[in-house]
Amino acid sequence: MSSASVVDPAVRGRLADGRVHQVILVREQDAQHSGSGCCGRLGERHTALGGAADFSHSRARMEQVGEIYRALAAAVPDLELTVVDPRNLVWLYPAVWRAARANGAGVFAALRAVARAGAPVAVVVDGNTLIRAACLIRRP
Amino acid sequence: MPAFLLIVITLVAFYFAYRFYSRYLAEKVYRLDPNFVTPAHAMRDGVDFVPTHKHVLLGHHFTSVAGAAPIVGPAIAVYWGWLPALTWVILGTIFAAGVHDFGSIVVSARNRGQNIGTLSGKVVSARASTLFLLIIFFLLTLVNAVFGVVMAILFEKNPGAVVPALIVIPIAVFIGQWAYRMGRSIVIPSILGLLLLYAAIPVGQAYPIYVDGLAEAVGLSVRTTWIILIFAYTWIASRLPVWVLLQPRDYINGQQLIVALVVIFLGVLIGWDTISAPAVNEVAPNSPHWFPYLFITVACGAISGFHSLVASGTTSKQLGNETEARFVGYGGALGEGALALAAILACTAGLGAAGDWNAAYADFGAASGGALGHFVTGTGHFLSNLGIPATLGATFAAVVVITFAGTTMDTGVRLQRYILEEIAELAGVKALVGRVNLLTTLAVLIPLGLALLPGGDSSGGKGFAFGRLWTLFGTTNQLTAGLALSIIGVWLLARNRNPLAALIPLVFLLFMTTWALLLNLGDFFAKGDWLLLVMDAAIFVLAAWLVVEAFTAFNRERRNPSAGAEES
Repeated sequence: MSSASVVDPAVRGRLADGRVHQVILVREQDAQHSGSGCCGRLGERHTALGGAADFSHSRARMEQVGEIYRALAAAVPDLELTVVDPRNLVWLYPAVWRAARANGAGVFAALRAVARAGAPVAVVVDGNTLIRAACLIRRP
Repeated sequence: MPAFLLIVITLVAFYFAYRFYSRYLAEKVYRLDPNFVTPAHAMRDGVDFVPTHKHVLLGHHFTSVAGAAPIVGPAIAVYWGWLPALTWVILGTIFAAGVHDFGSIVVSARNRGQNIGTLSGKVVSARASTLFLLIIFFLLTLVNAVFGVVMAILFEKNPGAVVPALIVIPIAVFIGQWAYRMGRSIVIPSILGLLLLYAAIPVGQAYPIYVDGLAEAVGLSVRTTWIILIFAYTWIASRLPVWVLLQPRDYINGQQLIVALVVIFLGVLIGWDTISAPAVNEVAPNSPHWFPYLFITVACGAISGFHSLVASGTTSKQLGNETEARFVGYGGALGEGALALAAILACTAGLGAAGDWNAAYADFGAASGGALGHFVTGTGHFLSNLGIPATLGATFAAVVVITFAGTTMDTGVRLQRYILEEIAELAGVKALVGRVNLLTTLAVLIPLGLALLPGGDSSGGKGFAFGRLWTLFGTTNQLTAGLALSIIGVWLLARNRNPLAALIPLVFLLFMTTWALLLNLGDFFAKGDWLLLVMDAAIFVLAAWLVVEAFTAFNRERRNPSAGAEES
């Protein structure tokens, strides 16, 4: 996944109706758990104590998505740029649905957009999932 | 009393608390500044430090803090009656958890997003960092012990839940391969996985799995056998790469949390059940008194120290505007309180309608040992209000709790492994450093030993010390909260602000915790429970240590107000 390919000149500026483009960068937060209750992790202590190795794949993707984030933020300052964990489904699914519908997608197309967005790593622009990637980093 | 009315009362209280008290905290205590450059902006890197919309952040924060613990505590605490339990949940959420979670985000954001563990060494004293480590060690030991017992009880009493609980494993493994290896979207597989899980519930009912034969063959009780099997599973699960099972199961857990909350509240609204359980229960002789035990039995759901780790570890780094700490921190605490309310309703209105409440809560042993069973039965009744057979509904609730507890144990054992290694390094025990299998085995064996404690609640004839293990867990959780509140209080004092909002819950929690620990000491001594006695004594020493550290830090700041901690 290359960050350079995302910063397309066509994405610059606003939509025809004046709204800003909405980009959702989906990626898992390392050491984030749902339903593990209040006993799931130790924040940065978790990483400091050795948890980094467990979540190295998530961390590597976080850093790659971070590159995309920085490139987009620098190239297109007007963007509505959101980074979200795919497990934050209460926010993510409705947000993609709304974005897809606002950009003219029909009900089924919007549902398809929602279904495509919830990957461990994804880049969603105005309700369209442009990039999805595996989370495991394959080493040579 | 209609159950619906409790929902209304609680939500109205939460609304006014958010509207007025959290605004008071925001404006007068934490003095949130909309122009303050949060770490998310100052150190914006798109990785850890990302300005994030408050609704997105609330979603992250809430799903991280919600789980099985805010269900278990209230499910036990209704033993003293629904009124004390609900009152503590409401007041604790408003005046303790809200202040604590909100304040942890603010103090961390004002300190470059640093974690409470790091801040304890910086704001309170260097020794507090070690204190933090030791509290967490005991907390994790007890977490793993109690959740091991929780799962064993549920499997023993709901053999129909075994098949769906087992089905989750291959589903999660499949989702992990699908998503992490192939990079595909998880939405459809996770929804299908959830449906498959629910479809497995009637299958589990038709083919319940008992381990009686195995238990008899090895000469152990059924529950002991389940506990050993669960810890064996946990050893394996915690040695697997996280993407194989732990992370993909998260997607199912997230969906289950929402489904469970919706069906419980919907079941109450549609069923219009009344609460037959007593408002204040006349408890059996020799039961623990609600004062102080109520305040450590309900930790998560009223106040939980672990929230400060979530609030300061991640949430504070993504805070787009300081003023949004109110919405995320205080709002997240209210959400956790709502989960505790759901547990109270299930164990009072739901259980009362489904069976004999007085028999279920006959004594503290029955109340604590059967707490999750009561929640499951009560939730089953709420689902029956929606047209779903109560037995299927009960299995559904059991599966929800089991999957949450499984995730908690998996992460708990992993964390304990790191903590043990850190303690080994500090103590100079080099034989343990880097020995992952050995550390994992220790992280499993210590809580397993506690979970298998014989004797326990003799009054209930349960043969397990679950109720007392749970209250010990509550004390460590409250001590963690006490440490975070100390940091918040010192931080406020250093800025010449009124620290009472943090100090009052701090003093209250420390008083209740140390009192309960002292009562436990006498109880364990009288019953000859030496292991629990040693553990209780160690936690009491930590509590005393925390009192000394907090007092010293407050005194230092009062005499010589300093920055206390740098601000970004």
